[in-house]
Amino acid sequence: MYQLSITTVLLLLLGFYGLTFLVSLRIGKKKENVDSYMVSNNSIGFGMSAASMTATWIWAASFYAAASSGYKYGISGALHYGLWGALMILFIYPFGKRFRQLAPKAHTLAEIMHARHGRSSQMILAGSNILGSVISLMVNFTAAGALVEVLSPLTFTHGVLIAGAGVLSYTLWSGFRSSVLTDFGQLLAMIIAAVVIIPMIFFQLGGPELFTEGMARLTPEQSSFFSKSAILEQGAPFFVAVLAYAIGNQTIAQRLFAVREDLIKPTFITATIGYGAIVIGLGMLGFLALLAGVQPLDGDLNNLIPQMAATYLPPFVIGLLFIMVIGALSSTADSDLSALSALVMTDVYGKNIAKGKPNPTTMLWVGRVTMIVATMVGVIFASLKLDILTMLIFVGALWGTIVFPVIASLFWQRVTNKAFTSAVAAGFSMFLVTRFEMLPMQGVVAVFFELCASVGGGVVIGMMAFGFFGRNAGLVFGFLALAALAPFAVGFLRDYPVLLSSLTAYGVSAMVCVAVSFRSQNRFDFESIGERVVAFQTKAR
Amino acid sequence: MSHFYLTLYVLVWPVIAAIVMAVLCVSLFRDIRKAKREGKDLV
Repeated sequence: MYQLSITTVLLLLLGFYGLTFLVSLRIGKKKENVDSYMVSNNSIGFGMSAASMTATWIWAASFYAAASSGYKYGISGALHYGLWGALMILFIYPFGKRFRQLAPKAHTLAEIMHARHGRSSQMILAGSNILGSVISLMVNFTAAGALVEVLSPLTFTHGVLIAGAGVLSYTLWSGFRSSVLTDFGQLLAMIIAAVVIIPMIFFQLGGPELFTEGMARLTPEQSSFFSKSAILEQGAPFFVAVLAYAIGNQTIAQRLFAVREDLIKPTFITATIGYGAIVIGLGMLGFLALLAGVQPLDGDLNNLIPQMAATYLPPFVIGLLFIMVIGALSSTADSDLSALSALVMTDVYGKNIAKGKPNPTTMLWVGRVTMIVATMVGVIFASLKLDILTMLIFVGALWGTIVFPVIASLFWQRVTNKAFTSAVAAGFSMFLVTRFEMLPMQGVVAVFFELCASVGGGVVIGMMAFGFFGRNAGLVFGFLALAALAPFAVGFLRDYPVLLSSLTAYGVSAMVCVAVSFRSQNRFDFESIGERVVAFQTKAR
Repeated sequence: MSHFYLTLYVLVWPVIAAIVMAVLCVSLFRDIRKAKREGKDLV
């Protein structure tokens, strides 16, 4: 496979990170404001915030996984990755508007939970956010190592170290503000690369003529838009994760609190379209590889995109692809660093150590030290090439269990701290039982979990309808989904443990949260959240 | 499905991405002008 020379790769990396660093210097202030360090000025414009949301949500794995899905499932494969990933952004904005309305000066979602319930709910959410961001950081540094290793004579570790140092260099001083500013350029690089690479490879492979020979290579499932295996193995588990990932990800919450309040809707709709177009488009490269009969190098589907580029594109465009992937992973990694610093500054130092009265100077340095430590952890774990699948499973499940309690807590006055924590504990326990088949999934046990999962399906559909159309529509759609899913799920879902366990996590946590809340006589005053969640530093220093 | 529609299916995504890029660039340009006019920081 064609490789770029060491000089070319070093120049590309130095050029990319050097330019990004220079851009970040333009907004650097000698004395940064702690609130701006976490959420900017709470009034970022549409262009900047939509670009930042899109760039952050596209990580390096988006390209590889979309192309793998296109290769594996054929014509609908890329859609079953990119479409649901895009809808994650869309479905969160109605709830995001509520978060902003309740706490206009919030820095993290966990901070709002602290004001609503207290410490345990806050730390459940903050802990899962921190774990998720560390994993994401590690995955992005790993992607840098893999890319450098495949496309140049440099080693995996070189790639990891350069990416870690590069991202930290431009994010450290100004935090979230640097992340948002540099996201714009990084997204432009990604879009330009996608706009050039997709048509070039398509026409290099023969253009429309490719379909004449290529469609014969596809199995009936791969040539169908309604492939059952694509839906059940790729689309449905992703669809279930739609709300969980959006709620569990501090990078999204941070942008929700940073954008001008009246621009939340257009920002998130534009980011949905932008993410979908870029990721589905690059996923098409997997579909084209399938049509052309390309065999992935070493049988690894992650090699498809670099392999297609190296085979069918001139060196200049390979350089463009290189920058596209580096841009994607860097924009997500800098957001992860900003997210981690905001979580530690607000939820660990601000609310718990300083008890709501932090020293701004100390707080700022807590954020910067967090970034340095997180980068070191990310680089070390990425270099060790740890298997992160198990960690991802646990974090995903934790996020699935917190979705209903978090959303219910901000709309329903009766939800208590006890309801929140017991719902998460019960949902997570039941997830473990089903995901790792701790009980034999047969007979009454299997039916019980399939019914819990059906409730979970109803919860997912109901919450989406609730977000857009209100409480009554949410209840109607939720119960209709439950009624439609239950007969189909019983006797069937037991064969799909990923889907069964994810839905069970949603279903059990929702049922426990509702049951415990109904026993409570509490009526929470939502107005008090805005009074408790305030800026840490009101005047610029 | 005809080759025309399959071609459209593959190539429509970069076109949409390019349109999004144009919208974002115009919006950013407006944001920069507004920030300068009002003497505020962009981010």
